[in-house]
Amino acid sequence: MATRVKQEPVSPTSRDVSSPPPGVNHNSQIVEREQRILNLLQKSTKAISDKEILLEIPDLSPQDRATIINNLLQKGFLDVFKQGEKLVYKFKEPSCPSKIKGADNEEKIVYSIIEKAGNKGIWTRDLRVECNLDQTTLNKILKKLESEKVIKAVKSVAAARKKVYMLYSLEPDSSVTGGAWYNDQDFEAEFVDVLNQQCYRFLHQKKEAVKNCKDGPIVAQNMASASSKDVWKYISELGISKVQLAVQDIETILNTLVYDGKAERSVLADGSLMYRAVESLLPPPGIVRTPCGVCPILKQCSDIGSINPNNCVYMTEWLE
Amino acid sequence: MSIQFGKVCSLILREHFGEIVGKVGTDLYKWGQKPLMSVVSSTKLSVEKVRQSLCILVQYGLATFSAGRSDRIAEYSLLPEKVFSLLRYPRYLYLIKTKFGVEAEMLMEEFLKAGFGSASRIIIRAATRLKEKKELEDASTNFPLLRDKFVSLVNKQYLMRCPAPEKTEDGKPSLIPKLTVAENQLYLPPTLNIKALTILDEGNPADAGDEGVYWRINFDRFHQDFRDQIMVTAISRRIDENGGEIIRLLLQLMYIRTEAWAQISNPIPFTELRDTLRKQDPQSPILQHLDQYLKVIEEDSSGFITRVGDSGGGQYCINMRKSFEALAWNCVENIIVERFGSKAARIFRLVKDRKFIEQEKIQQIAMIPAREAKQLTYRLLQENFLQIQELRKSMAQNAGPNKSFFLFHVDLEEVARMVLDFSYKALYNATTRRELESEENRRLIEKKNKVDSIAANMRLQGAAQEQLDEIEEMMAPAEVELFTKVMNRVQKLSEAELHLEQTIFLMQLFLNYSTK
Repeated sequence: MATRVKQEPVSPTSRDVSSPPPGVNHNSQIVEREQRILNLLQKSTKAISDKEILLEIPDLSPQDRATIINNLLQKGFLDVFKQGEKLVYKFKEPSCPSKIKGADNEEKIVYSIIEKAGNKGIWTRDLRVECNLDQTTLNKILKKLESEKVIKAVKSVAAARKKVYMLYSLEPDSSVTGGAWYNDQDFEAEFVDVLNQQCYRFLHQKKEAVKNCKDGPIVAQNMASASSKDVWKYISELGISKVQLAVQDIETILNTLVYDGKAERSVLADGSLMYRAVESLLPPPGIVRTPCGVCPILKQCSDIGSINPNNCVYMTEWLE
Repeated sequence: MSIQFGKVCSLILREHFGEIVGKVGTDLYKWGQKPLMSVVSSTKLSVEKVRQSLCILVQYGLATFSAGRSDRIAEYSLLPEKVFSLLRYPRYLYLIKTKFGVEAEMLMEEFLKAGFGSASRIIIRAATRLKEKKELEDASTNFPLLRDKFVSLVNKQYLMRCPAPEKTEDGKPSLIPKLTVAENQLYLPPTLNIKALTILDEGNPADAGDEGVYWRINFDRFHQDFRDQIMVTAISRRIDENGGEIIRLLLQLMYIRTEAWAQISNPIPFTELRDTLRKQDPQSPILQHLDQYLKVIEEDSSGFITRVGDSGGGQYCINMRKSFEALAWNCVENIIVERFGSKAARIFRLVKDRKFIEQEKIQQIAMIPAREAKQLTYRLLQENFLQIQELRKSMAQNAGPNKSFFLFHVDLEEVARMVLDFSYKALYNATTRRELESEENRRLIEKKNKVDSIAANMRLQGAAQEQLDEIEEMMAPAEVELFTKVMNRVQKLSEAELHLEQTIFLMQLFLNYSTK
């Protein structure tokens, strides 16, 4: 990336015509022109070539142009690409090189890759593939950057051993930390269960409250329904959660209630979700009231052999 | 039709009709349709015994016969579904008792005992039993009442006329009688001569006016009632009592215009429903909100009814197939809750909802720790509640596991069949265990019965209390205790059988609807 533009052969004629007289204001002119070229680069979405620069500033000498481009390159304002035989330039957001003062090129590259990964982080293996450095060098660089508190390693919840790197200042994405449900890579099953129960209690209370409603079933049903926001408010006021939960988090919990068969979800015209406690259609079926219905070894049971109904311990226990 | 089903069938037959009929029934179940002599050779029983057994089976409507490949030889086949109705006898009786009263129950009991019979004979027998029960002087006082009950049972189609042998053209009975009954006569109530019944009761010959007309029980009608009951209770649970009442009325109206076992009823107009409701109870609180109730039932996820048109204030259909699909889902879910816990049920419902889903997604959406979710999912897979579908990215033979997706899904019909099968097994187990319990303590039970009958006799003869006490003491306290214990066990097992029967009924209904 950080290639230097070769000095173009300068034709003597153009020098005579366009080169400004050397003097004190030559430097300030260059600074001013640099700004103009920078503006030009910033404005265009596509890469621009020498020709376009020349159109903008007709009296720019190739020498000065080379100086300006090299300056900009050094500051990290642009990228150079080769398009056919020509060189083209494209504007680039400068990475703040001040953060890694005194870093060598390899460190810079590693830094820029990690920076690109954002708050999702990048896995060491992917990093190695991308920067094309060997393991030991990379490890050394990572260790150095980490000790300088430029980057940090975060353990991902997706895989316990997977470490991802991201910039030190960033807050890890919820896909990495697992959001509110994770505490140090551990899924907090109890927390989820408590929330699940509380949400159900809320919906159930609403349903009980309208049991003797006289205004018809639709009114009763509407009164028994609660939007996810209502439930969210209720849960927030209860104060069971130490972490701040989002409405979306509550919706995930409410969905588990739907999958528990304890609630039903409906969508309003404006797209918001409503939840309502429901009773299952049937009481527990007859089969589970017999020992065989819940027997773990029913498959192995038969007339012959050691597992048979006549000396079944489960059945004897149940009959006592 | 599985091995387990066959085992249960032969067990039921053996319990109700004894060893020999059980053997013949099992043989017929195994082989399907076969003639008499072939049953004889495979069961190694005497011809006479096999003939009698087949007679019994045919009498109770558990087997049929028809001409086989040759016109001269009848072939017999077992009707396994009918065998199952033997288990439901207590339920049939209970239903009749609540709907029509004790007298009708008595009639029904006589029918269940005899398999089929003429109206006059059944009524006389029922009257005699009523007399004993109520200790009346004369059985004949019950005749008009019993006749009315009989007629209403026929009118409500709980009883139907037996098909009679068709007369051949030359007047001679054919070798294999063809049994037919005219459509219009099937539920035509008999006209009975009460006076003749009284004469018959005294043991003299008389013509009661129903010579050669026999009746039997229409089991389908009972099953229809059970089915309706399931639907009404389900909606009552889901919505409220009023909702259940509306479903009951809708079902009533359905029978006017639709065949009872159709998958979807013909449309029922709203106005008609309202009028029926008003006629039934002009002050009914449901009337005010009838349209709302219909909307709520329609929008419910169970999908019992659907709105099909707007004429007549809206037309509604009852969707039997969908209803029983919802009920079967619910039943399976409940079984999973009890067997594997509510977390497993959550996974099951999730897979049902998403149709096809990957393991990773399951734990994410169900909010169950990865380890536990995996365990539960594979447990369900192992017990055949879930199925797995492999989806390959490449068709290459040696593609590794990374190159394919494994998606979980549920095939409800398959699950229902499996649930049915293990219900059969549970039923079989409960029955065998019950037999064992009473077999092991047979002598004790016999002794108890003996003592009881002696005591009853003595009491009739007016024995003194001391004597009665003496007889009671023939049973040692330990024996009495053991006896009550055994009886409790037997009772518990029979209850379990009844519960199982209900699950089996629901699953069979679902499969009937879905495979039609």
